[in-house]
Amino acid sequence: MKIAVCVKQVPDSETRINLPAPAAELDQSGFTRILNPYDAYAVEEAVRIKEAGEGVEVTAVTVGPATVKETLKKDCLAVGCDKAVIIDDPALKGADEAAVATVLAAALKRDAYDLVLFGIKAIDDDSGQIGILVAQKLGLPHVSTITRLELGDGKLTAHREIEGGKEVVEASLPAVLTCQKGLNEPRLPSLPNIMKAGAKPMETVTCADLGIEVPAAKVKIKQYAPPPARGACKLVEADDPAAAARELARLLNEEAKVI
Amino acid sequence: MPNIAVFIEQRGGRFKKVAWQMLSEAKRITGAAGGEVWAVCLGADPSAEAARYGADKVFTAADDAFTDYNSELWGAALANFCTATKPDLLLLGSTAMGKDLGPTVAAKLDCACISDAVGLTFADGWTVRRPIFAGKCYIDVEPQTPLAVVGIRPNAFVLAENPGAGTAETFDAGVAGLDPGAKVTRSEASAGGKVELTEAEIIVSGGRGIKGPENYQLIEKLADALGAAAGASRAIVDAGWVEYSHQVGQTGKTVAPNLYIACGISGAIQHLAGMSSSKCIVAVNKDANAPIFKVADYGVVADLFQVLPALTEEVIRIRS
Ligand SMILES: Cc1cc2nc3c(=O)[nH]c(=O)nc-3n(C[C@H](O)[C@H](O)[C@H](O)COP(=O)(O)OP(=O)(O)OC[C@H]3O[C@@H](n4cnc5c(N)ncnc54)[C@H](O)[C@@H]3O)c2cc1C
Ligand SMILES: Nc1ncnc2c1ncn2[C@@H]1O[C@H](COP(=O)(O)O)[C@@H](O)[C@H]1O
Repeated sequence: MKIAVCVKQVPDSETRINLPAPAAELDQSGFTRILNPYDAYAVEEAVRIKEAGEGVEVTAVTVGPATVKETLKKDCLAVGCDKAVIIDDPALKGADEAAVATVLAAALKRDAYDLVLFGIKAIDDDSGQIGILVAQKLGLPHVSTITRLELGDGKLTAHREIEGGKEVVEASLPAVLTCQKGLNEPRLPSLPNIMKAGAKPMETVTCADLGIEVPAAKVKIKQYAPPPARGACKLVEADDPAAAARELARLLNEEAKVI
Repeated sequence: MPNIAVFIEQRGGRFKKVAWQMLSEAKRITGAAGGEVWAVCLGADPSAEAARYGADKVFTAADDAFTDYNSELWGAALANFCTATKPDLLLLGSTAMGKDLGPTVAAKLDCACISDAVGLTFADGWTVRRPIFAGKCYIDVEPQTPLAVVGIRPNAFVLAENPGAGTAETFDAGVAGLDPGAKVTRSEASAGGKVELTEAEIIVSGGRGIKGPENYQLIEKLADALGAAAGASRAIVDAGWVEYSHQVGQTGKTVAPNLYIACGISGAIQHLAGMSSSKCIVAVNKDANAPIFKVADYGVVADLFQVLPALTEEVIRIRS
């Protein structure tokens, strides 16, 4: 069985964005980069399937510049992925979700996988689209936002989170899944495994190698803007906490008119 | 003149509120720019409500295929609808269903797909505003295809009634004979039947300041008094005090209620990521320097064990 895990390197969740006024570009050069937290659930799930079965091979696939290699090594290969494929092409700079999905679909088609795992969303663009777009491009069934997975013979059963409950979905293999927190608890890489990961194969390809042209963007970013400013905080002063609570309730009722 | 199609989500015949918010906003746009607002629903007839919020036309496909949600069938149905009617935009709520369906439809139509939008402007084409980096930055984007599929964050748009007599039409979804590779076999509601976080107008959240799982009921009591949903920081989810479905933040739910009350939550950047676009934010924290006060509109610097019971009591009094 061949499993692919599509992973993205993203700025750390602590990242502060310094954008005092709207601008055509956002300088992201100084950001610390990590594996997208949701992709860690996808990697862990793939590795668990490998450990539970026989003849399972796990490949991490990413579209990104050469600087993704550190993340691939530490957070994918060192925790159990067997190899990595990087699609690195200068023409992909500024690619939108549809373009990245097209490129990923080409790479996944080339190597024909039985199962393709994604995170539910990347915490930089917050799109949550790429797994589903890729499934459609490959003509494969998908189950999104999964919190539990059981593999059977030629099929799978997954739980997906919905408002106020869950859906149980059955799908035939090959299939595409997008992984959500709750699916598993990702392990951390050990130092010896990080050292050993350096010996695992990492292939870098361009769009031309995959036999495709870089697709035109379907969405263009016009500008980046700071979030709307919030007013100052009004501290509720009172003699004791109970009085403060009553005063707060009054303010919310009469001033803010929200209760 | 732009025509805007709005997907009216239903499960078990119950419609999602975000649908009426989207109709309200679409009507505001077509009111100024001309064009029509079309409500599209699979598996139920939303005519009465849709007309109240200004839909000019209501399209329904009442096929048996739409009893349960299925990405492939529902995606094909909406793609067929768009191919036949050619709207400028197809709006879907950013709900569990909408987030699954939007990219499915967009891929079938090979068109632009924009997630979790909070603003739409029409002037020589569309500009769509959406948060990225968990709300630390916004982008204005322009779709480059004649049709764009746009996900709309719940509570981003204000409800406005626009009663009119919309025409009702049925359409052929064209899904007969499709055999999807994935099917929902069962759905389960989680215990409680409480107000759902992403749709809630008021949320009361608790963090590590509540000290232990046994005290989460303080949060739930205030939430019940307010008709609110109960949320949580990741700290108490990871500690196993409450379920993950309550988590608000960068790796939890993104919410934008009218009122968000954070109790014993420090306001880490990852928590703020999920709630900082709430309209009114209240913080109850005994540490006056907690970062949550930087985004709060009202703050109480005190012990939550003393504040919450009194607040719950006062809310019950005001609301009765
Ligand atoms: C990749 C990543 C993703 C993350 N995603 C999320 C996310 O989605 N959501 C999230 O919430 N966090 C997330 N976090 C975690 C985040 O960084 C914080 O650790 C977390 O939000 C802290 O939770 P807290 O505010 O409940 O706890 P603490 O930071 O410990 O704060 C507790 C607060 O309670 C106050 N307090 C204590 N006792 C009382 C009392 N008696 N009365 C009143 N106040 C009291 C204290 O003054 C303090 O401010 C993420 C972190 C990482 C690295
Ligand atoms: N550049 C990329 N390379 C590989 N996988 C990606 C890339 N961008 C996104 N993904 C995958 O798609 C998921 C959803 O991303 P997004 O749609 O961008 O929010 C992520 O969690 C990854 O699994």
